[in-house]
Amino acid sequence: MITIKLILIALLLVILRAFLVQKSLLLIKRAVAVLMFAGLLILVLFPDISTRAANIMGIGRGADLLFYLAHLFFLLVAVTLWRRTITLNDAVTRLARELAIRNAERPNEKAD
Amino acid sequence: MAEPSVWVIIPAYNEGQVLAETLRELQEYNASYHLVVVDDGSTDNTSGIAREFAVHLLVHPMNLGQGAALATGIEYALRQKADIVVTFDADGQMRPADINPLVEAVVKDGLDVALGSRFLKSADSKMPTLKKIILRLGTIFTRLTTGLNITDTHNGLRAFKAETFAKLHITQNGMAHASEILTAIARCKLTYRELPVTIRYTEYSKRKGQGASNAINILFELFSRGGK
Ligand SMILES: Nc1nc2c(ncn2[C@@H]2O[C@H](COP(=O)(O)OP(=O)(O)O)[C@@H](O)[C@H]2O)c(=O)[nH]1
Ligand SMILES: [Mg+2]
Repeated sequence: MITIKLILIALLLVILRAFLVQKSLLLIKRAVAVLMFAGLLILVLFPDISTRAANIMGIGRGADLLFYLAHLFFLLVAVTLWRRTITLNDAVTRLARELAIRNAERPNEKAD
Repeated sequence: MAEPSVWVIIPAYNEGQVLAETLRELQEYNASYHLVVVDDGSTDNTSGIAREFAVHLLVHPMNLGQGAALATGIEYALRQKADIVVTFDADGQMRPADINPLVEAVVKDGLDVALGSRFLKSADSKMPTLKKIILRLGTIFTRLTTGLNITDTHNGLRAFKAETFAKLHITQNGMAHASEILTAIARCKLTYRELPVTIRYTEYSKRKGQGASNAINILFELFSRGGK
């Protein structure tokens, strides 16, 4: 019982650290991350809280509440990443096209 | 006024087998055309073949799709002060003889765009039936979305007034750019005309070209990028 909690806490801290060491991170994102991890930490230490919160919201079990929240969170992550991929793709495309134009081989300057 | 310069943009993706024949035909047809081959990240010797001809060669570092290849070639031609831009496939399906009427329509009649159509001629080449049906659906789709009454919405043979094209901002990398061009024609209220062209359906082109199933992909491309 105690050991799984220790492992979870250690993992949380490692992930939080990995997130926070990013140099160019908006302060607001740091704050949100710290709050979220604090919340998770509390949940690990006192799991009953989630059940009580779930009951207040009319959801049966704490695990269900967490399941919903996790779902929402990962959807958010997926959409964010998807949008970023599109932006990145556009940038790469523009870059590739500009490169092709700049390196154009003209008919008269053929290497033999 | 001096003769307007005509730049023919030829997107080519792994067309090493047929590119030489296509370029030879084009040069024999009209030596004054400026030919621009855009090698769209081919893994075969497409670039090597192009280098054997007096063409401008642009090479994408990776495969980006026909729309991107056209956009690159056209952008280049515009920077070279092209007057007229023609889009022409590398795969030998198009006939160079169809180019001049399109160019004439733009130059003499002052149109913004002249579009090739496979359906204006009764003597249509041997187009696969399924492809014909899909293309018909394409015309209906285009009529509904743009109001343009066009007989052939996915024909790759067109001639543009260069200054006009500069305003269109084509962003679709893949095959959906054809619909995008039409949308732009409707949006910018360009003057256009369709002229009959003959497209050859060889075994090679049928094997390599866009199968009917790709219509689904084209639709998907349009919608997934539509909101931007
Ligand atoms: N299929 C395909 N064709 C490309 C690409 N990039 C450039 N092209 C060229 O676009 C032209 C038309 O392609 P094709 O597949 O034959 O289309 P279809 O004639 O409409 O069936 C050819 O000259 C291709 O070489 C690409 O990424 N995929
Ligand atoms: Mg083809």
